Amino acid sequence: MGHHSNWPEWIYIGVVIALMVWVGSEAWNAERLVEHIPADAEVIKVTGQQWFWSFEHEDGTKEIGELHVKVGKAYKFEITSKDVNHSFNIHDYVVLLDAVPGRINTVWFAPKEVGEHDIQCREYCGLIHYNMRGKLIIEEADTTS
Amino acid sequence: MKSILGLFLVLAILVIIPAAHFVFAAGDEPDGYLDRRVVIWNLFYRMMTVAFTVGAVVSGTMIWLCWRFRESHPKATPTPYEKEGVW
Repeated sequence: MGHHSNWPEWIYIGVVIALMVWVGSEAWNAERLVEHIPADAEVIKVTGQQWFWSFEHEDGTKEIGELHVKVGKAYKFEITSKDVNHSFNIHDYVVLLDAVPGRINTVWFAPKEVGEHDIQCREYCGLIHYNMRGKLIIEEADTTS
Repeated sequence: MKSILGLFLVLAILVIIPAAHFVFAAGDEPDGYLDRRVVIWNLFYRMMTVAFTVGAVVSGTMIWLCWRFRESHPKATPTPYEKEGVW
């Protein structure tokens, strides 16, 4: 081959490597931040089964299809399933994690404002998957305690 | 070889070292609870900005290459191989 310059190739390789490093580090850092569960997070056991969600709070309170939480507190969901794979999703809070039989998957979030949000199964789990919904109800923080 | 090392040094200073610093020295956990929506959507918007910028540069370069090196371009010249007729 002639003595043509390799510079464009090296610049291209350098730019691609730099971009990949940047994308990787940004994504890794976001994941690290999101997965760091606060020590004072209250545990809520979430169980998916055909075709509804049930919840158990730390104090033993159980709920079906509705989940009541307080604004400004952190909650850690311990998610599992009783039958087939489901996926626990609170779309408005970007909470999404599979519910797998025999496994406990954890994800956390801290509600910011009072309101109601949809909970939906995001893994096709049978005939009534489309209606495997729930309601997240965020209430005012308890000021009495 | 020296020039290539120089290029990588410049790239490292510009991008790689700040990125690595950002990851490893990020102030550990922020005060209060972080809002995962903010973290996740910010990441998404940054990545999309980069993706569209890179897409524009790459497709722009390809369009320019096709336009500049077409046979009918006023400054088109045959390559040495074409001139000699030997490959």
